[in-house]
Amino acid sequence: MFKPVSTTGWLTSALAVTGLACGSVAWGHHSFAMFDMQKEQSLTGTIKQFQWTNPHTWVWIDVPAGNGAPAKEWGIEGMSPNFLGRRGWTVHTLNPGDRVTIVIHPVKNGRMGGSFVRVTLADGTVMNMMGSSTPPKRSHAAPASRAH
Amino acid sequence: MSRPVNKSGLGRAWTRIGFAAFATLAALAVSAAEPQATEVLRRPHVMSWSELDKLPDFTTGIWEMSLGRGALTQRSSPSLTPTYAAMLKAYKAEDTPDANCLPPGMPVIMGQPYPMQILFGPREVTIDIEAYMQVRHIYTDGRPLPVDPDPTFNGTSIGHWEGQTLVVDTVGFEPDTPLSANWGMHHSGKMRIVEHFRLTDPDTLQVVTDVNDPVALTKPWTTTRVFERHRDWTIAEYICEQNNRNLVDQSGKAGIILTPPK
Repeated sequence: MFKPVSTTGWLTSALAVTGLACGSVAWGHHSFAMFDMQKEQSLTGTIKQFQWTNPHTWVWIDVPAGNGAPAKEWGIEGMSPNFLGRRGWTVHTLNPGDRVTIVIHPVKNGRMGGSFVRVTLADGTVMNMMGSSTPPKRSHAAPASRAH
Repeated sequence: MSRPVNKSGLGRAWTRIGFAAFATLAALAVSAAEPQATEVLRRPHVMSWSELDKLPDFTTGIWEMSLGRGALTQRSSPSLTPTYAAMLKAYKAEDTPDANCLPPGMPVIMGQPYPMQILFGPREVTIDIEAYMQVRHIYTDGRPLPVDPDPTFNGTSIGHWEGQTLVVDTVGFEPDTPLSANWGMHHSGKMRIVEHFRLTDPDTLQVVTDVNDPVALTKPWTTTRVFERHRDWTIAEYICEQNNRNLVDQSGKAGIILTPPK
């Protein structure tokens, strides 16, 4: 029924199943219906802003449109900082000016948004919603902004 | 005719019998008035701190539901009555809005990917749930369930201890909250939830939840959740409306606000 594509993919699929069967885990305060959960799209660009907020973190990224056209700003919805902060993320994990590649489940109807799957940082570290999926090459240490 | 009190022979025997009778009656009176030591942990009453100290350790650290294997040791779907099955069938995730930062209420509030803290007090067990910053008060002082409770999201709860297990009974639910994480599933206000909380090992809390609803369910629905203890975590703030970009438009369609922040 599901293929483990990434940890987040497994998580989302597993919870889609359990959500139907048991009603035991409700991720966030809304359904994932507005995202195309079967599709992954990759965006390479520069972080504009990282919102470390509830109910979701939001990554705002400028993605070049090509041919000299102005960059487009995409909004990527992630898990709560409460969840991420206990799994290796901090408010400093993504910073304005960071050049990254983000993989998302895009919003349906072609709008510039999506659900966060994973990000590859400039130093090659790959972060997903469960934390780092590769050994970090540098420390993301910073004053903890959320209780762990 | 009075008999002079004397301490010899027959008088002494009567004195002993009288004393024994008095002592027995006194002992019976005492045992009826005060609970025996073994009953202290069973009958709900206002507890002393030394009694609370003897309870299983639900209060050290905070609890979060295990993700992945073992999180849901029992998976079953609720068996809905025809009316409620029809409501589920008519539900479309794209069209029907989820609540906009409204907490989901019981039983779904106990299955969120956020931790909870359990506190013991003389009159209640308090569960501080990080998701939506919800609090459940489980009165353990012997008060009965309300006969005509106001409908609320989390219901009104009483509890008692059966050995090492906390048994919680909850009634009085607002019917517009979901029955499960699938928001198409609803319960009626007649829902009644019984939970059994117990440690299955020193750092694992199992909660077995029995949902009864004669209007929405054809039979009781039982789920089992497993929580891990995290000794060095603390409950964090969760203000859902802080940056809520998921909303419902006027036609009831779920939407997403992609306007970038300044």
